[in-house]
Amino acid sequence: MRRRTVLAAGLLAAPMAGCAGRGNEGDRVFRQFDPANQVGGLAETIESWNAEHPDYRISMETLSPNNPQQFAREANAGSGPDIAQLAFTDVSFMAEPRILTPLDDLMASSPAEGGDDLLATDMTTYDGSMWAVPWTADTMALVYRPDVLEQAGISETPQDWEELAEVAAKITQDAGGEVSGFVFPAGAQFSSAQWFPINYYLWAHDSQLIRADGETWSVGVSEQQLADTMEYFTSFFTEGITPVSMQATTDYGDPSIIGSLDDGTCAMTFMPPAAFRTARESVGAELMTAPMPGGLEDGATHLGGRALGINANCEEPEAAWEFVKFLMSPETFENYPQYPASATTLDQIDVDPSEQGYIDQLPHAESFARYADAPITIASLQALVNQQFSAVYSGQSEPPDAARKIISTITTGLEE
Amino acid sequence: MGTIRLRSLQPYLLSAPALLVIGLLFLVPSIYNVILAFQNLTPYQSPGDAESVGFENFSDLWSSGELPNAAFNTVFWLTAMSVVLRLLAGLGLALALQSPILRRWKLRGLSRTLILIPWMVPQVVAIAAWRWILDGNSGVLNQALNALGIIDGAIPFLAQTSTVWWSIIAIIVWRELPFVVMVLVAGLQSIPSEQYEAASVDGAGRWTSLRSVTLPNLRPVLTIVVLVTVIQTFNNFVYVWLTTGGGPGNYTAVLATELYSAAFFDNELGTGAAIGLLMTVIMAIFAVLYLRVTATKEDA
Repeated sequence: MRRRTVLAAGLLAAPMAGCAGRGNEGDRVFRQFDPANQVGGLAETIESWNAEHPDYRISMETLSPNNPQQFAREANAGSGPDIAQLAFTDVSFMAEPRILTPLDDLMASSPAEGGDDLLATDMTTYDGSMWAVPWTADTMALVYRPDVLEQAGISETPQDWEELAEVAAKITQDAGGEVSGFVFPAGAQFSSAQWFPINYYLWAHDSQLIRADGETWSVGVSEQQLADTMEYFTSFFTEGITPVSMQATTDYGDPSIIGSLDDGTCAMTFMPPAAFRTARESVGAELMTAPMPGGLEDGATHLGGRALGINANCEEPEAAWEFVKFLMSPETFENYPQYPASATTLDQIDVDPSEQGYIDQLPHAESFARYADAPITIASLQALVNQQFSAVYSGQSEPPDAARKIISTITTGLEE
Repeated sequence: MGTIRLRSLQPYLLSAPALLVIGLLFLVPSIYNVILAFQNLTPYQSPGDAESVGFENFSDLWSSGELPNAAFNTVFWLTAMSVVLRLLAGLGLALALQSPILRRWKLRGLSRTLILIPWMVPQVVAIAAWRWILDGNSGVLNQALNALGIIDGAIPFLAQTSTVWWSIIAIIVWRELPFVVMVLVAGLQSIPSEQYEAASVDGAGRWTSLRSVTLPNLRPVLTIVVLVTVIQTFNNFVYVWLTTGGGPGNYTAVLATELYSAAFFDNELGTGAAIGLLMTVIMAIFAVLYLRVTATKEDA
């Protein structure tokens, strides 16, 4: 899509409709939302594309953090970037109002390298069509300080959640309370990262928040299972294993977590790959990754990642698809430090030994497709769960009451 | 004849640009918000795809059970407490800045500049800095309290119900106090010194002067300060959202955070618009009542 000239009348329309063309005149726009300090390699890759394709130059636009609703507003107004990076969980929202281009024909007529064994296609398929192509894959891995574990006489990371609680308690006790065995961000905010281990715990114990039953949805967890999960995570605070201050922290990359990894007062936490790499650079000690508890069980951890979609307003979808294929190629991942969402391409990339935890776990991870397309959004589930777990940690609710609240809210949401 | 007709149109022509801007930037969005409150629309759909749902968004709000807690927090904690504290602290500081001692020591200009610093810090930066200060693990406040021997251990200020509202209010007061101080200083400067001299001749002490001269003269300024700070705070979203996100649990949830959650997490723009409409009505009632009360007092 060529950048449209904004006429005098556009002075009023521009703030409302937005205008994608922030790149050079004539460029097509690729919008991505990873932080600017993590996409240097991607920018170089796009430069190499532009050098070889002067007739289809790409201008990379960074709009961080992820804001799919901004893209939707622009696309609904006939504007927006030509190619957009999308979180897996956002694809169906874009597909439903048809603001993306369906990719089935493009994929059939010009297959992408590694396109036969893509992970998480269940998140990019909607109404029988493919609306975006999985591009990168990530998950959470256990991040730990091997020296701190060694000091407590622990040679292997915990294999399941029960073992995690035991190992973490031992580390804290051995250090006389000076070291937190396991640290996790447990804030009430919608975005709080506690959402991931809570789900992992549930999935590893044969339950999940909601469950698809054909065309209908139902609650997939009992009050008792939820209350047990709340008691499990609360025990980290009541037993002094995790600092209470974590109840106000939402992000795995929070300075308080990085700081405690750095000074050795945190033995274990969890992070996705990009956050781990940032932490590794900031911490003056060796950091390693291992699969999350239960992470080597199929479906016990989540497969997240980014997809690439083509705007329905794109005037040259075939050319845009060629660029998407280029982004999916092994060549891109030589410079772009992410894991490809193609099993074949994943096998071709070199990974730092400290990141082996992700590599071991990724083949067993499953997407949030189990919650996608339900009448209640994943974001709503996340907000609800984080809030009610937080209410228990802070003593506002007892686990059975909070569990009942979650189930009743989910039930109402599913009925709507 | 032509000149007379042009003259009669002149006021309308001159005010047309202002009316156009007000119409486009205020009236159109406000009217659209009212329409949206009766519709079902997600942030991913085009406005043309909206479905009319009558009063359903309002009835859902009523039945959700979340609204009373958010409304109480908005009115009592976020607005009333923070505005009262700002007024008291602001009046005290304004009087201090007007004191003859500062003038004698030629510190008036410097102190007024220093008092403005928090207001120059962007809200987001101020909140991020305060989050670090209040951190229960490594926060400088905990370190200072420990060093002074006031506490032994660490207080997770933003993670426990007993301290979280006071922490948010402290941030609001710190960041927004300069506005109150500067307006009140301007008000104090407008009071004729003869009134204080007359009061002094009549034997009035400092307290009597404050009560009988300063406060009555400041009433118009105080009216504006209260109105502006109440409206600004009642609608404020960032202080709660960036410090606690409404937590722990939903202990600090306010109407603005509920609005945001409804519109952008639950994908229910109509419900968000309904909350926005409710907030506007509450503020309108407050503004009318407050202006009537103050007008009545002034008339009397």
